[in-house]
Amino acid sequence: MGCSSSLPDRSTGRLGGLNVSESGGVADAKNLRVKLVLLGDSGVGKSCIVLRFVRGQFDPTSKVTIGASFLSQTIALQDSTTVKFEIWDTAGQERYAALAPLYYRGAAIAVIVYDITSPETFTKAQYWVKELQKHGSPDIVMALVANKADLHEKREVPTQDGIDYAEKNGMFFIETSAKTADNINQLFEEIGKRLPRPSST
Amino acid sequence: MSSSDSNSSSVDDPNPNPKPLDNQLETLNLEQGSDSIIIQNDDDEEGRQQDQGSSLNGSLNVNSDNHEQDDRIGPVRNVVWRRTNSEMEVDVNGPSSPSSSGYAGERGSSGVSEDDEIQEVAKDSALHGVFDSQAAWLPGKRHVDEDDASISWRKRKKHFFILSHSGKPIYSRYGDEHKLAGFSATLQAIISFVENGGDRVKLVRAGKHQVVFLVKGPIYLVCISCTEEPYESLRGQLELIYGQMILILTKSVNRCFEKNPKFDMTPLLGGTDVVFSSLIHSFSWNPATFLHAYTCLPLAYGTRQAAGAILHDVADSGVLFAILMCKHKVVSLVGAQKASLHPDDMLLLSNFIMSSESFRTSESFSPICLPRYNPMAFLYAYVHYLDVDTYLMLLTTSSDAFYHLKDCRIRIEMVLLKSNVLSEVQRSMLDGEMHVEDLPGDPLSRFGSASHLGEHQEPTDSPGRFREPFAGIGAHNSRKDCTGLTRKFMLQCTIMATGPTKHSLEEMRIMFSSVGSRPDFELYAAFDPLADKGLAIKTCNRVCQWVKDVENEIFLLGASPFSW
Repeated sequence: MGCSSSLPDRSTGRLGGLNVSESGGVADAKNLRVKLVLLGDSGVGKSCIVLRFVRGQFDPTSKVTIGASFLSQTIALQDSTTVKFEIWDTAGQERYAALAPLYYRGAAIAVIVYDITSPETFTKAQYWVKELQKHGSPDIVMALVANKADLHEKREVPTQDGIDYAEKNGMFFIETSAKTADNINQLFEEIGKRLPRPSST
Repeated sequence: MSSSDSNSSSVDDPNPNPKPLDNQLETLNLEQGSDSIIIQNDDDEEGRQQDQGSSLNGSLNVNSDNHEQDDRIGPVRNVVWRRTNSEMEVDVNGPSSPSSSGYAGERGSSGVSEDDEIQEVAKDSALHGVFDSQAAWLPGKRHVDEDDASISWRKRKKHFFILSHSGKPIYSRYGDEHKLAGFSATLQAIISFVENGGDRVKLVRAGKHQVVFLVKGPIYLVCISCTEEPYESLRGQLELIYGQMILILTKSVNRCFEKNPKFDMTPLLGGTDVVFSSLIHSFSWNPATFLHAYTCLPLAYGTRQAAGAILHDVADSGVLFAILMCKHKVVSLVGAQKASLHPDDMLLLSNFIMSSESFRTSESFSPICLPRYNPMAFLYAYVHYLDVDTYLMLLTTSSDAFYHLKDCRIRIEMVLLKSNVLSEVQRSMLDGEMHVEDLPGDPLSRFGSASHLGEHQEPTDSPGRFREPFAGIGAHNSRKDCTGLTRKFMLQCTIMATGPTKHSLEEMRIMFSSVGSRPDFELYAAFDPLADKGLAIKTCNRVCQWVKDVENEIFLLGASPFSW
């Protein structure tokens, strides 16, 4: 393991972009600070997931994200490490697709979201996975999130499809509902556990 | 329909005639002549000739047209201005149907208008002045279920369309774009037909309707309106709509059409309906949309200096523009050396920020393009709301600058809080605009200091309310520009007259515009029809003096990086 500043964000400085800070993504072994990016089609609930996680709120009136919003939240894990997530909630609109590298460059974690009621958003999620495999940090932690789990009567993407796709691509999979808060905290805790830990010096 | 040559004068534009209102409108020079091709419906020509005849007699054509009554409107009287050649013609309708975007254009129809905007305006009028009317306006596109076959759609007073040169719909104010494909194709066909003849279509008149065209490379913009606004106004509105689109996408979107002429642009504008509808709504309440000036929030000189100083600090560190605004009003603004900001860009930027709710939830970093600054390239905007109405925008050319801008914002916010700028801004917002009632009362002591501001004395020649001034179109503007603006102002007043200011405008039968063309600002005023000319001029002078006295508070003076 290298020195703390080289992990988990190897590309800091080299690629530039919206990286967490000059010193990289990690504060110290017990207090992690990571850049997380949310990607996915518009309307899948990326902002709702973030607002549920950060503020415990859910606003059913949809507000289209412009560019990207920045929020942060710190959680404590069971092993007494804290993780500060610096979250880039990106806009799902097509016109911002070309600008996505600006936000995912140097990210330690990518959360790719789709809507279980819309197969198109699942296809779009797969597009993002491929894009990150090509252009993201090589050691990026990726999570596949099937949101709107509360709308199970309208489900069109079977859970198994999500599980299979995630497994094939070495991703972590979870079904969430920002509306009912189901699995939202679990999503971030699980991500925290999977983060590569810097060796303490 | 017949089309005329582009260099012949337009059909409805005969020579200027003696002005019956000359005695009152001394300073009002209405611009005549236009090089537009006008394709005019012949039936309409007859009606217009009649109108012209009646106003040539010098009489005011005052109709009380009660069959248009709409109970929902209540006591709002509709003052309608029409320009027939160089005459003013006034229709004072009974309770009528003002809309947010224009005034009653359906004078001939006896049907009760179903336009829900009427209710909005009526609701506004009870609560707000014109300049705050946006507060009660509900954002977002309405009537998406309509298409060109719907009667309700056809009755809308003002349509705006954006389409591609292949006829594909891009945006429509009302109705579902996809359902309007056939209609878009028709508009495209009209444009192509004239273009094939080596000409360009600018305006088509059909009965009460005007169809205004604006071609911007592969993007076509069309307005269909029966609001009787002049061609120049409608065209200016189309220009702003185009600018708003460029702000979102940059002009490089044209390349998509070079690659594929049938390119479908609608997905690229996904989620921006609200930005366009809010801009279109602002045409009816925000004079900045036609004055090409920005609105400045009145603020004590020292307070504004404090805000400007801290913005200046950050502008030295790689920020292109640092702008502090409260709603649509500028609190302070600083630009990097040599960088200058056009007021239209400010308008479009603040409209974009205010209409997109997501900026309110957290700090954002978004690509935006300033069409007058550089239409080809994105800038990056760091946007953060400091309180519910006040927001800071830091623009940069560097896509990596987020964390730096975030630090800048933290510094700025601390200073603004410490120096009470934010609370002063809130207070000024609550105080609202300047009112004529606040005009220093005693005419004899009017050249005194601003200490007279506290005296309330209703002037007998009350020109209604005088709202917060706009940092004017600079003194470098030619006289021609001024007269054009005068007319625009008058017509815009007309539109606003149908809106919420029923108390001040109810009695206003006619408007008189005076341009106080001073080297440092311009004044536009509207008066009662029977106002004495001398008194009106005197009042204008008093207002000018008053503005001079308080100009430190109501204008951004000095280092404003503006270009016109």
